[in-house]
Amino acid sequence: MTGPLEGLRILEIAGPFGNYAGKLLADFGADVILVEEPGGGKGRSRPPFIHDEPGVEQSLDFAYFNSSKRGITLQLDTADGQDLFRRMAADADAILDSEPVGVSKSRGLDYPALSAANPALVYTSITPYGADGPHAHFAATDLTLMATGGLLWRGGYLDGSPVRAGGNQGNLAASQFAAVGTMLALLDAESSGQGDWVDVSAQECVVMAHENAIQFYDLEGTVRGRGGEEQRQAGIGIYPCSDGDIYLLANGLGPFWSELVSWLDAEHVEGVDLLRDPKWQVTEFAESSEGKAGFSKIFGTFSLSRTKAELYEGAKQYGIPLCPVNTPADLVESPHLADREYFVDFKHKELDAGALMPGAPFHTSSMSWQIHRSAPTVGQHNAEVFAELGLESHDIVGLAAGAVI
Amino acid sequence: MTLSASQPERSYECSEELNMTDLPLRGIRVIDFSWLGAGPYATKILADHGADVIRIESSTRIDRLRILPPFRDGIKGNNRSGYFADRNSNKRGIALNMRHESALDIAKHLIAVGDVVVNNFTPGTMERMGIGYEAARALRPDVIYLEMGTQGANGVDSRRPGYGNTVSSVTGLHHLSGDPDRYPVGTGTNYPDHVVAPAHAAFVVLVALRHRRRTGEGQYIDLSQAETMIGLLGPAILDYTVNGRVQMRRGNLSHGAAPHGVYRCLGDDRWIAIAVRSDTEWIALTDGLGLASLRNDSRYATLSNRHRHQAELDDIIGTSTSQHDAHELASALQERGVPVGVVQTAQDLIEVDRQLRHREHFPVLDHPEMGPSIYNAPPFRLRGVDEPVMRMPAPLLGQHTREVLAGVLGMSEDEIDRLEKEEVLT
Repeated sequence: MTGPLEGLRILEIAGPFGNYAGKLLADFGADVILVEEPGGGKGRSRPPFIHDEPGVEQSLDFAYFNSSKRGITLQLDTADGQDLFRRMAADADAILDSEPVGVSKSRGLDYPALSAANPALVYTSITPYGADGPHAHFAATDLTLMATGGLLWRGGYLDGSPVRAGGNQGNLAASQFAAVGTMLALLDAESSGQGDWVDVSAQECVVMAHENAIQFYDLEGTVRGRGGEEQRQAGIGIYPCSDGDIYLLANGLGPFWSELVSWLDAEHVEGVDLLRDPKWQVTEFAESSEGKAGFSKIFGTFSLSRTKAELYEGAKQYGIPLCPVNTPADLVESPHLADREYFVDFKHKELDAGALMPGAPFHTSSMSWQIHRSAPTVGQHNAEVFAELGLESHDIVGLAAGAVI
Repeated sequence: MTLSASQPERSYECSEELNMTDLPLRGIRVIDFSWLGAGPYATKILADHGADVIRIESSTRIDRLRILPPFRDGIKGNNRSGYFADRNSNKRGIALNMRHESALDIAKHLIAVGDVVVNNFTPGTMERMGIGYEAARALRPDVIYLEMGTQGANGVDSRRPGYGNTVSSVTGLHHLSGDPDRYPVGTGTNYPDHVVAPAHAAFVVLVALRHRRRTGEGQYIDLSQAETMIGLLGPAILDYTVNGRVQMRRGNLSHGAAPHGVYRCLGDDRWIAIAVRSDTEWIALTDGLGLASLRNDSRYATLSNRHRHQAELDDIIGTSTSQHDAHELASALQERGVPVGVVQTAQDLIEVDRQLRHREHFPVLDHPEMGPSIYNAPPFRLRGVDEPVMRMPAPLLGQHTREVLAGVLGMSEDEIDRLEKEEVLT
């Protein structure tokens, strides 16, 4: 069984916003064909690299986000390249396009052009600011999208500048919502025969991350600032331990405060009796510098004498929301993730031995998710894909000679 | 209690103000037991695109977001929270006190006519209520049943309580966000609750709907909020498993661009983000900032040189940007093709950003108690759908109880009156 999206053919024009959407679809069995420029796309220059050696087949970022896809090269700025793409699009179910606004139109490969020959086609364009509007042509990167989407404003230290979240979360937010929009349109297209243009704005995808800040301004006129305190209130925040940090959320919610006191009591923590005073659970006191310093003195002394793992285990017995601030190494060694068989094999032709990488982001009882193949090497499936299109092998040689593929 | 309808009716009766003929999820009904952050933001995506999402709530176990700020005019109330409202656009809401046997019966009848059932309780909660997956499947053989535990439905840590920020911590996002020489700072929000878990949840439900259409089979989906987040950090995991490197947070630095950072502008706590990926963009930036003397300085001539000298470049650029208004400078530099952006506040997003206004990202819906209030529209447009996506504000607690019991389950007014008297519908 190849997966629930078997039978869907999707053309992904390589770019920063489409990668993860394509992976979500491909790992579920869609035939996703990554279309790169001859020589390979820019995504291949993203670190980290295998053994820290840059090269078109060395990027782990590329290898991870392009699993299960086939790959071809095609020069979309030439008439021959455009013609081939048009022929593939006539038979495709969806296109993931993250070129800047206007590029696909200039190539004659935009939604109106392609849907004329294939009305059921779903065309997902993922652009920094959406397809229209006064900023539609603005240049952008992950950092600037995190800024204009406003999430950057919330991150960082109170005494410093805003700081971006790790791991290109702005680009990835766009990719995740692009996958949702594409599936919505595909469901409809498969029953009605009518495709659609899914117009994704990366900025708006970042805006979704605001929690309640938009409503705070709308309803109460307050602008929420950076949330980067080490300790937000007594019992809530980051606390250092002997081998790193933990995050504790033991105040303001549920029965956690009294459970925390029971735990610290059982551990004979000095000063625990002071925490029995009801004042600690009054927000005003818990947020005061006196409250925070007092709690830090009692709990912080205890946490510094324990490892992340010890604190995590202790909190489990008392049902307290306390988590280690895990590093990638902690995750790979996590007993819980091992229990769930979360990690799967990462295979790569440049590696002798396998390694682990994240597996399915959801477990499904009767839908098969798998890494169908490693990410494609540059042009790996040119011959196969163009033969499916009806090209003879001498045509393919000619295209290569003309730098079309 | 018995239900008068022996077979629950399958047809969906739209409320009059709803006309969902053009939305892709028309005809799909979601029985939504989810609460707090990640679950409701997932079902919002389904509701905004036409699914009939019926929230099961109770004043005896209130969704905590209903009583968390912000409140309209700062006045507390179960129906006044914007935190709750934004997550629950286009949904219907009913009140059921699940301590009553007859409330459980109603929940079961709703599951029997539901295509999708969603919860994000601590795993095991639905089983204890008698409506876990096996029970649901007995009622509705092709049910798509989504559980969204913070760490999944099984595994040694699955029963731990968790929230958005514990997910950030346990997944590595927190570790990777902040300055390398300071404590990890995260995003300042419960990030995984708002984008990562909801988008993955909506995606997998849509895939399951396709699978059901093709095979007739339903689905049990165990989505771990943590695993959806770790899945986005794959390159950092591979850097460890392949290269043995434990990645550290890097502030605002980037491998592919320099200068790359956030720079102070005129005013209190105002900033502009600047990313220079190429020599062309570097020259455009120096022109835009009036720093032409830097153009020919070999220390900054290439990307690798600019990386090497980023600290001093940051000082020079920051001194220059601090003379400018952030929005004016951003416009000027964008005209030269430099990727920059104002670090916008919520106020900027609502009042200043012309693009979001053009895109109508913040529609205003008239809520019966909160009045006209701002919601998030979906961040993408299905351009062929004419129907307005944002149709209905968040439900009052129990607002649609009678409508759903009568319209969906075919119960009589008398029966509903009796249940009301028995305090089942609270």
